[in-house]
Amino acid sequence: MKTYNIDVLKDAANRLLFDMSEAEYKTLLNEFDIVVKQMKLIGDNKGLDAYEPMVFPFECTTDYLREDEPGEPLSREEALRNSPRKAGGQIKLPRVVQ
Amino acid sequence: MNYRELSIDELHELLVSKKVTPLDLAKEAIALAKADTNNAFEYIMEKEALEAAEALGEPEANNPLWGIPFVIKDNFSTKGVPTTGSSNILKGYVPVFDATVVEKLKAAKAIAIGKTTLDELAMGGSGITGHLGRTYNPWDRSHSRIVGGSSCGSAAATSDGFVPFALGSDTGDSTRKPASHAGLIGFKPTWSRISRFGLFPFAPSLDTVGIFSRNVKDCAYVLNALAGRDEKDSTSSTKPVEDYAKDIEKENKNYKIAVIKEIEDSISNNVVKDAFKKSVEDLKKAGYQVDYVHVSNELLLTLFPTYFVISCAEATSNNANMDGIKFGPLSEGKTFEEVMLNARTKGFGELIKRRFVIGSFALMKENQNELFVRAQKNRRRIVDAINDILREYNFIYLPAAPGIAPKFDDASDKLSDEYLIADNHLCIANFAGLPSLTLPIGFEDGMPFGANITGRAFEDKDVLKISYEIEKLTGLKNLVAKGGQK
Repeated sequence: MKTYNIDVLKDAANRLLFDMSEAEYKTLLNEFDIVVKQMKLIGDNKGLDAYEPMVFPFECTTDYLREDEPGEPLSREEALRNSPRKAGGQIKLPRVVQ
Repeated sequence: MNYRELSIDELHELLVSKKVTPLDLAKEAIALAKADTNNAFEYIMEKEALEAAEALGEPEANNPLWGIPFVIKDNFSTKGVPTTGSSNILKGYVPVFDATVVEKLKAAKAIAIGKTTLDELAMGGSGITGHLGRTYNPWDRSHSRIVGGSSCGSAAATSDGFVPFALGSDTGDSTRKPASHAGLIGFKPTWSRISRFGLFPFAPSLDTVGIFSRNVKDCAYVLNALAGRDEKDSTSSTKPVEDYAKDIEKENKNYKIAVIKEIEDSISNNVVKDAFKKSVEDLKKAGYQVDYVHVSNELLLTLFPTYFVISCAEATSNNANMDGIKFGPLSEGKTFEEVMLNARTKGFGELIKRRFVIGSFALMKENQNELFVRAQKNRRRIVDAINDILREYNFIYLPAAPGIAPKFDDASDKLSDEYLIADNHLCIANFAGLPSLTLPIGFEDGMPFGANITGRAFEDKDVLKISYEIEKLTGLKNLVAKGGQK
């Protein structure tokens, strides 16, 4: 497993596109210590690898496609209503090409 | 007139006999919501509720939810009504569609009164991490105790008698634990029984819609309105639904009930333990077979870390769309990455940021086997042990929490057996997708506490029926907080 320290955690947070304060990273590091210790204890169970990872509680599949039914799409106004920055009927972002 | 302590059946009778109108009920619920002192509301739907109540025609004698007011946890999409998930990153967000459960309750002509507070994006169990701050337990007017979370506002509004039922959600115990702290019924149905379309996802392999009510039958009425396949949610089950309220009072003495000894033993509070033991004895006296069964402490101690790793990992990938571009408050930046970084740094609270990092770390290629996959394997180990019990027994019956609602400044030892087992065992039902219901069984210092009954997958009706029996035995129903009853 990858070694963790404050720099690794900062990198992980930045990859998730947010940052935290130094105090928050310290709290996080303490939490990591607890979680990793507990997960190591789980790993010490010799029979664990015999179990298949459980992804969902039980099989619940949909194996057909819905009928294509025409419906009303969102209007431009509705689609843009929640965006904090818009111009000319579109969502506005900073320039990509400088 | 004061409608606060009435059940859905009692309100329905008044509505059908026209002694009260939906508008009367909506007005009273809105007045109570406006006077709320527990920070239960994100938004009060005054205009919407009054319009909907006025628009109802003749009473429908066969529709128990006709004209009944209710509240909605603010992580369900509501068309044209602000929906924040109690997070600053969604401040001002107004959805363009209704969650399926909201649509169904509108179709049943129930009246939505407001959107309620929660732990930010439903990730928390205390009711203190939402962007509006602490939500208080209505049973304690000194405002020193939590009501629990994440569905804190729905629990507070229901236990204060503003409405007879509420929508919550439940990923680890977010409906059932607050129900214990607030003297309520808190129900998590079988995973896939109710559509989750329009519910903000937290950890989809664990998430379910939750129901709060003040008696078991009311809960069955709400489940009747919500259960069933939804083409908009491919994980909703195609299994036929039942009439969950019909014959709920008919006893089935063939039910067999198991109590996990190690979970009961992990509780140190003797008031809770004694009340639970009395409840077990009462069930035996009523003719039910109740046996103590065993699950190793070694396995039970792994419940919380397994839940924590799986839920954090699933949450990380589910919240990537909150970028401050399509919705959310305006953030500055020279590039779009900077806009997103600033929006997410300011928008997310501390606790959920930490959870996202833990989840992301658990999913990294070099860590996956030792964290995420290990937790998924252990989940199966836990579920196998529980399903072994449920092959022989219809239900597992346990105290829902180790005590009454904790004080805000109570720091529990996160590594103690009591915390790791007694405070976290309700997630078993989420791991296995089982129907699970909390109901009140006693009081300590005027504060309620509950027990929990969990049944086999898709045997939701049996869980409601045995809960109805337990409710009859305890006599604790339709409780309304009065600020600390003895």
